Amino acid sequence: MDLQYMISILPEFLRVIPITMLVVVVSAVFGFLLSVPVAGIRIRKVPVLNLITDLYISFTRSIPILLQLFLFFFGIPVLLQLLGFDVTNISAMTAAIVCLIIYNGAYMSEVIRPAYLAIEKGQHEAAESLGYTRFQKLTKIIIPQMTPIALPGLGNAIIHLIHDSSLVFAIGVVDIMGLATIISSGSFGMQQVEVFLTVAFIYWGISFASEQIIRYLERRKKRVLNRTGYEMKEEAEYNV
Amino acid sequence: MLNLRNLNLSFHGNKVLEDIDLEVKKGEVVTLIGPSGTGKTSLLRCINLLEKPDSGFISLGGLDYDFSSIDKKETLNLRRKTAMVFQQYNLFKNKTAIENVMDAQMVVQKKSKKEAYEKSMEELKRVGLEAKVDAYPNQLSGGQQQRVSIARALAVEPEVILFDEPTSALDPELVGEVLKSIEEVAKSGMTIILVTHEMSFAQDISDKVVFMDKGQVAESGRPEQIFKESDNARTQQFLNKFYAAAQ
Repeated sequence: MDLQYMISILPEFLRVIPITMLVVVVSAVFGFLLSVPVAGIRIRKVPVLNLITDLYISFTRSIPILLQLFLFFFGIPVLLQLLGFDVTNISAMTAAIVCLIIYNGAYMSEVIRPAYLAIEKGQHEAAESLGYTRFQKLTKIIIPQMTPIALPGLGNAIIHLIHDSSLVFAIGVVDIMGLATIISSGSFGMQQVEVFLTVAFIYWGISFASEQIIRYLERRKKRVLNRTGYEMKEEAEYNV
Repeated sequence: MLNLRNLNLSFHGNKVLEDIDLEVKKGEVVTLIGPSGTGKTSLLRCINLLEKPDSGFISLGGLDYDFSSIDKKETLNLRRKTAMVFQQYNLFKNKTAIENVMDAQMVVQKKSKKEAYEKSMEELKRVGLEAKVDAYPNQLSGGQQQRVSIARALAVEPEVILFDEPTSALDPELVGEVLKSIEEVAKSGMTIILVTHEMSFAQDISDKVVFMDKGQVAESGRPEQIFKESDNARTQQFLNKFYAAAQ
């Protein structure tokens, strides 16, 4: 074990952390935005669209994320050409982000949907009986009660996303993991353990930091939960 | 003031309400009684469109709507002229007692926070809960929650308040305080439609009692007519069963 070597390659890794963070943040934000209408369609069982979202969720759940990355990287240009756009290839980064957005849209919708369904029918009816519009009912009554229920699941989704993002190197994105493979092949496979151990520590650090943020939000939301009387485990468990 | 004509409601092809006519005058207390499953609650829920009737007409405080063609906007208009007190209270769990009473005033009626607060304090005092304004529903007893819910209904100044078995979910020792609040509301001149199994209360408080059976209005009239002088066989059967059970 060459500790000095590990320290010497650390700055290089710090340089690519923003790339991993970019992939994670953009995928999380837009994945969440996508998950809202998907959950809405499934909750309201909108004809036809419901069938499509069922297929979509089944697809993203059943196919390994690595395979999905390849499908998107090679598939998007083909699809765009079929639609008449003159594109021969797209950047690995774009493919990776599109893929993870779509993956998280499905995953997070399955967090939001049960949170919505956990709210008693009486809460809806009380608001409706007072003449709230659907939008007013959702924003003032339903979503504030859903948030603390959905938070642990969304936190888990983000931790998973951080881990999944380490696979984007496979289609050529130079993120933390991508850099690790480059360095390790550059040193002719000599100090593999040191390289990957460094990477492991970096992921640990990122996950730990994210977990702290989520725990903080959760503590705030737990107060809301105590008041509303919905049950939640003392501490949500994350698989970091 | 409130007028229902030829109201029909069915669930999945099963007729629940058949050809209901109901007239409620301003300031009247009308009580719906009858065996379980005869559509009393459903009828109440038709008035604010929590159930959508298949057909029929409603007039309420100057609005005239045909249930078979009622749209979103008309539904909202109708709901904003009514308020409901639910069996399970249904207070907004994420809001304190006073926020529960204030919210609809600000969100739906667009009142200022100050106005809504003052009105809410007034109504909470009326139901005797001024000491509990900052408590969350979870921290209140069933009786207290139901009284907050009555204050919430009063605060929007509806044309009519619909009480859906307001004491059925309560522990027996809490029933009295809620009935007292309802009585208070009735005395203030508010128009009330009440579904209840509290027969003696119904007899005392009502201006009109409607006995429903199998989705139809079997009989209606002044309380003493229904409770004492009814010659309707089904009414008698129901009341006899009820009194036998009470003893």
